[in-house]
Order: sequence, then C-alpha cells, then structure tokens
Amino acid sequence: MVETRVQRVLGGLLATAFALPLLVLVVRAFADRWRAPALLPQDWGMRGIELAFSGQAAEAFWTSLLVAVVTTAVALVLGWPAARVLGERRLKRPAIAFLLLAMPLLVPPYATGAGLTEWFLRLGLVDTVSGIVLAHLVGVLPYVVVVLLSAFGPEVTALEEMGRASGLAPLQRWRWVTLPAVAPTLAAAAFLGFLVSWSQYGSSLAVGGGRPMLPVVMLPFVRSDPQVAAALALLFLAPAIAALALTARAARSPL
Amino acid sequence: MEARGAARLRAERRRALLAAAPALGVLTLLFGGALAGAARTSLVPLGGEPTLDAWRALYGDPAFADSVRFTLQVTLLSTLLSCALAMLVALVMRRRSVVVRALLSLPVPVPHLLVAVAAVLWLAPGGLADRALGGLPLTLVRDDLGLGVVLVYVYKETPFLVLLLLAAMGEALAAREEAAAVHGASQWQRLRWVVWPAVRTPLVVGGIVVAAFVLGAFEVPLTIGPSYPPTLSEFALQATQGDLLAGEGVAAATLLLTAVASTLLAILAVRLAKDAAGG
Amino acid sequence: MYPGRLLLLALIMLSLPLAACGDDDAGSGAGTADAPGSSFPEVEREARGQTVRWWMFGGDDRINAYVKDVVAPAAKKKGVTLRQVPITDTADAVQRVVAEKRAGKTSGGGVDLIWINGENFAAGKKAGLWLEGWALDLPSAKFIDLEDPTITTDFKVGVEGQESPWSRAAFVYAHDSAKVKTPPKDFDELLAYAKANPGRVTYPAPPDFTGSAFIRQVVAAKGEDEAFAYLRQLKPLMYRKGKTFPKSEAELNGLFADGEVDFAMSYEFGFIRNEVRKKSFPDTARPFLLGKGALANVSFVTIPANAAHQAGAKVVADLLLSPELQAAKADPKGLGSPTVLDLSKLDADDAAAFEDSSSGPYVLKDLGEPVEEIAADEVAPLETRWKREVLRG
Repeated sequence: MVETRVQRVLGGLLATAFALPLLVLVVRAFADRWRAPALLPQDWGMRGIELAFSGQAAEAFWTSLLVAVVTTAVALVLGWPAARVLGERRLKRPAIAFLLLAMPLLVPPYATGAGLTEWFLRLGLVDTVSGIVLAHLVGVLPYVVVVLLSAFGPEVTALEEMGRASGLAPLQRWRWVTLPAVAPTLAAAAFLGFLVSWSQYGSSLAVGGGRPMLPVVMLPFVRSDPQVAAALALLFLAPAIAALALTARAARSPL
Repeated sequence: MEARGAARLRAERRRALLAAAPALGVLTLLFGGALAGAARTSLVPLGGEPTLDAWRALYGDPAFADSVRFTLQVTLLSTLLSCALAMLVALVMRRRSVVVRALLSLPVPVPHLLVAVAAVLWLAPGGLADRALGGLPLTLVRDDLGLGVVLVYVYKETPFLVLLLLAAMGEALAAREEAAAVHGASQWQRLRWVVWPAVRTPLVVGGIVVAAFVLGAFEVPLTIGPSYPPTLSEFALQATQGDLLAGEGVAAATLLLTAVASTLLAILAVRLAKDAAGG
Repeated sequence: MYPGRLLLLALIMLSLPLAACGDDDAGSGAGTADAPGSSFPEVEREARGQTVRWWMFGGDDRINAYVKDVVAPAAKKKGVTLRQVPITDTADAVQRVVAEKRAGKTSGGGVDLIWINGENFAAGKKAGLWLEGWALDLPSAKFIDLEDPTITTDFKVGVEGQESPWSRAAFVYAHDSAKVKTPPKDFDELLAYAKANPGRVTYPAPPDFTGSAFIRQVVAAKGEDEAFAYLRQLKPLMYRKGKTFPKSEAELNGLFADGEVDFAMSYEFGFIRNEVRKKSFPDTARPFLLGKGALANVSFVTIPANAAHQAGAKVVADLLLSPELQAAKADPKGLGSPTVLDLSKLDADDAAAFEDSSSGPYVLKDLGEPVEEIAADEVAPLETRWKREVLRG
C-alpha cells in the first residue's frame, strides 16, 4: 500500500480532467465574441450577464431555490423513518419497498410531470409552489431514502442503545447520538435531493410552466444564445456548488 | 412465552410498516397517479374515445424500433464504461486529499444540459478541441454511433459512481486489506476478495441508476446526438412537434414503454448481481 | 414515543406555509366570456387589475426586451400587468391548454395569451381551444388589410377572429460576401453550388421550424415529388455528407458563424442584423433569396377559450396591434421586424414612423413575390416524408 508519486500525479490529473471542461462555461459567459479559430474570446463583455439577469431569471432563481429547499426538507422528513426501517432491515418484504422506491427513478421525469398535470389541474395545484414541490417529490424522495438508508444499521442501533443505557432522553439521544452518527450520509442525501429538484426540467414545465423555474427559463437560450445560456449556467451552478461545500462541511464536522 | 414473542414480532413489523408508510404512501399516490395519467393520455385522445391508435402507431413505426436499438446501445455503452472507469478512478483516488476529490466531483452538481453545452463548445467541429489540436481524429458531435453522447454521459456519471464507491471504501476496508496483506495476499487477491465484495453492491446500484437515467434523458442527445436515430425521449419529443394531438398519445406511450424497459432492466440487473454474489 | 415523529410533524407544519406562500395568481376568478358586441371600453374596464400571462418563446433577448420595456409599460398604463411566461416551444403552451381541457377546466385557465401560428393554431382550432370572434372587434383591427390572405388565413386555415396578427416573417438566407461573392439565385443554382463545393451546404432537420420552412420552399418551387428528388440529390453533397443535420436554426447559425458552412437561413427577416449585433456573424454577412420571392407568413396572438383574464388579454392584443407599438417593433434599433398593419390605413404621422424599418445592408429591401404557406395539415406529412425519404433513405 505504498503511495507512489505516480498515483498522486495520476490523481491530480484525473481531478483536473474532470473539473477543467466546465471552465469553458465560465469563459463563454463572459465572451461577447468567440469565433473559430481563436482559443480565447476575441471580445470579452458583460452582455451575457446583463441579459441573464434582466429577464425572468432572478424570479426563476428564487422560485427554484424555494422549491428545492422545501422539497428536500419534506423528503427528509418523510423519508427518514422509511430509511431507518429499510436500513435496519425491519421490513418483512423489503423488495416491494425497494421496487416502489426505484420506479420513479427509472421513469423519464417528463413523463411523471405530464402524467400528473391533469390531476393537479383538477386539484388546483398547477403553477403553485406546493404543486411543483409534490411533482419534484416523486424524484427526490426515492433518492433521499436510498442514500439515507445506508446510514442506518447495527452500528447506529448499538450506539443508541449505549445512549439509552447512559440515561439520555429520546430527544437527547436523537440530537447527540443518532444525528452525528448519520450526519455524513444525511448531508449526502440532502445534497442529492436538492440537486435533483434544482435541475428538474420536465416536471417543472409540465406542472409549473406558468411559474418560471430556472431550468425552464434557461433551456430556450441554450440553442439560440449560447452566451446568455452560459451566464445562466453560472447562475444555475452557484447554489449547487454552495450546497456541495455545505455538504462536505456537514459531513466532516459533528454537530 | 413463544406466543408473546410472535405477537411482539408482529407488532414490530406493524410499527416498521407504519414508519415507512408516509414515504411509500406518498410515492405510491403521486407516482401511481402519474402513471395512470400517462396511460390515459396514451389511450384517450382529446375529446375522443379510448383507442389503441397511439400504441399501434408505435408498433408500426420503423423509426421507433431504430430508436429503441440506439437508446439501448448508448445506455449499455455509457453504463459499462462509466462503471469500469469509476472503479479504476476510485482505486486511484482512495487515498487522495479532500481537495483532489472535490475537484473530481465537480461534474456531479452540474445538470446534464450544461455538461452537454460545454461538450459542444469543446468537441464540435470548430470547437475548442479542434482549435487546440488542429483537428480531432473522431467525429464526436452528431455522429452516427452516438459516441459524443456516450462520452458526455461517461464524463458526467463517473464522478457520481466514484463518490458512491469511495463511500464504501472507508477505513474499515483499508483495515481489512491490511490484515489480508499481512497474511500474504497479493494485490490482485486483495482486490478480488476484499475490495470487490465491499464495492459490488454500490457499483451495481449505481450502475442501475446511471443506466435508467441514460435510458430516459434527452438533453444530451438533443444537443450532440445524431439526427437519426433519435433516443426514445427525443422520439417522444418529436412526436409532439408534428401532429400535436395525436403526437401526445404517441409520446406518452413511448415514455411508458421506456419506464417499463428501465424497470425490467433494473430487476434483471439486481437478479444477476445477486446470482453473481452467490444468492 | 419516537421523538422523530414529533420532529416530523413540526417540520411538515413548518414547510407547508412556506410551500403555500406564493400561490398568488393561480386561477384567479373565472374567465368571463364577454357578451357578444360588448364595447371595447367595457373590456378595458374589466381588464383593469388583471394579470395577463403571455406564454411565448423565451430565448430571444430582443423580443424579451421589447415585451418588458415597451409592451408591459403600455399595458400598465391601462391597469393590466403583463407577465411573460417563457417556453421553449409554442407546443408547450398548447399542451397546457389541452391538459386543461382534458381536466374539464372551462374557465380560470392558466394561459391568457399565446404567440402562435401554423400547425399549433390549426390543432387548437380543431380542438376548439381558442376564444372565438374577438380579434376583429379590437380597435386597432381597423388598421389591418382584410383583403390580405396572409392576415385572414393562417397556413390556409381561416383565422375567423380567433387570433390577432402581431408580426410578419419573411424567410431569408445569409451568405458571407467576403467568401461567396454571388450567392445562388434559386434552388437549382444551390444544387450546382453544392456540387462545386461539397460539404458546405446544410439545413436544419425537420421538425425544426426553420428546416421545415426550407422544405416547404423547395416544395413550393418544384412540386412535391420533384422536391423530394431534389433533396435526395442534394443530400450526399451536403455538410457531413448529409448523414447528420443541425437540429435547430441556432445550430446552423453557429456552423455558419464558425465558417463550417457557407449559408444560413431563418424565418426572421432581420436575423443577420441581429447575429452581427451579437458579434456572432461576420460583418460581411449579407442576405439573399432563393427563388422568386421569400416565404412569408404572419404570426399571431391567440386567447384560449378558458383563459382566466380574457379582457386583459384582449387589451394586450390590441396594444400589440396598435400603430405605436408596431412602430416600436419595426424600429431597426430594436426588433426591426416588418409590421402587419396596412400603412395606407394609417394617418400620415403614424405611417411616417415605419419608414426606416428596411434599411441597412443586413436586410433585404425587396422580398420579391411572397411565397404562400401550405395548408396547416400538410406540414406534418411533409416532415414525415422527409424523415422517411431523405433522412433515412
């Protein structure tokens, strides 16, 4: 298990290879003119940024953020008991539960959104934040449960037992034993759930087309105006990268 | 004594079911509703009688068969390549620092659409790679085999799989490998008998998720896939762009079929994985 | 007791108000169909305080600027709040109205106004989705030429007052005058050019809007079967040997801008001016026509029959058609697109505002004999035939 220099260099190269291509989006956002065969833009400028922020993008950003945060919160709350039960293998026939959890992940998201539109129209949920949250939940809940369940198991149960034996009240046990024990996985589940909702196009359009969401506002520009699309992409990425940083911190530090 | 134990077990099971009920119940309601809605759209055109026209149109369309073949091809290639690459990368990345790992996982939060846009900027004729290298040996954008599409998915999904694998390759595993090494196991033997069993499940699960996603996604093929054949989701989209009312039914039918195919593939993969593990 | 359950309850209760907040204009009130013959001042009175949701393509920054900086303030003066709902494809809006019809929502619909024409309009008309007989009651409707078939029919489908004209389009092509001194004058010359310069010509693949229009022009020039024979002949001489096509007009523009192909095309009359302004096309790009004239059509705005804010939508449609806003749209510094108004029906001052619109080297002064669009229900079969005989065959 010798850590060779080759491995270190290789690791660095791989990391760069995966991170670098995305840099082009940053450059494109600030490039007013970038035609072949130039490797760098001929003209830099703020046109992309100005246009990106002048339209619906700001409103769409906050709506998407609200929906993503609420969806993740609801998914965590609903999914925690299920993840616990599945992780501790307390269900007699877990296969059915797993199938139910897996199926929404296997269906193209636009199909889910389009299938729900009629029901939501009858219920008056279309173009509302609650409606979009529910539509997103179909994709987010499975991810959250599947990731979170790997946190639970005999180790956590044993720790909780020790907590109980030490005389901790249930709420204290949860706060000081369970939560720190599952914190890394919980953070990962929350992060993944947030991402899935944040990037959702199909169901956002089908159920919430009348309430601008960032992916829906961005897509028309992708084909017709790459500079604005790249600027919107940066807007799109900011919370995702922030969430990644938050997750990494939560995963490492105990509460 | 025994009766009380059995009763307690039943109570346990019931409690467990109740705990899982909110999540599973919500999912069943929402997802079931979505499937029912999609089925209805595929069977009942607006203001008309239930009919199998949409399904029949699908069955008779050679473009649909080509689309299925192409989509499966891209899915299989993307999944296998990213799983293999993820395994190798995870092994290299195991003991790297947090910073390096963070850089590697940068593609994870980036939505597929943005990765596809970046891919066009790099790989298209006249793109950055062309300008830097003076020409690419392969056509990667809008090529017949969908290699560009595969490349983008491999680029995007490998870091995701690596994260899953690294989560399973923790300190406990390192300790077990140490122990095996002390007992004289070679590098290869350690990989085969210590590492592989620990990562097998996350790899299979991750692979299924990746495969299912690639099967149904459309932003990447839309941006850099070939004109023909389209992937299944593109096919559904094109159906609505022609004759809108009839196309809705065809699109819904296509997406339902994609869902069924994904589910069957997932069940198959899980079965195979279980068999390979020895039950 | 499981403390988690308490927390569960607390969190759900916390999330719900958050989720509920912001459900402002969802289906506010039933849309009242105006009594036939109700005067426009009554409509304007009713429109005060309404929010009109206009579903339209969101990827063109100039149109977005026009809507935000010109139309919305004008609507605000009449007490109407205009909200642009950006979509990628008009079909997205039509599908929403269809879904509302399926769900039995006959009033309070979420779509008040759609920018539409052609097949989408025809499909909606056949399904009875659009509000009827309102367009000619608009005050500004007196400025349009009712003898003009491009105003009264939309892809040969009778408009019948179900949509109000907004914008004219003319299909033009682009070439780089620095590279190609004399562009081809018609389709046969285009074929000859492709033979002499293989790999330099392409067009977007249907069902893309622009590619579909290109096919229609070839059909109009040659007749259907001849046209398909021509396209099949052209295919191996095309960019990438015709194995693959750009999937959108924007992609073709990119290829042209990068010098990969020699010609671009668009239904947007001023698109070269726009792309040069975006510093995407070279300054030496120039427009040209293939054939005797440009394919021309008019695009409209329509109001779904179940729209929640019909009065507001009518006010907006009227504003869009008014001489002031049409002149602002024709201004070459902004959109620069031709007007749908009949200039002879305007008074001298208003008509003078339109003089500048066809100026500059990037737009054609003479569009020749306009080529008419085919019937709406013939479009999809043409696209299918193209896919079968040219793309695959």
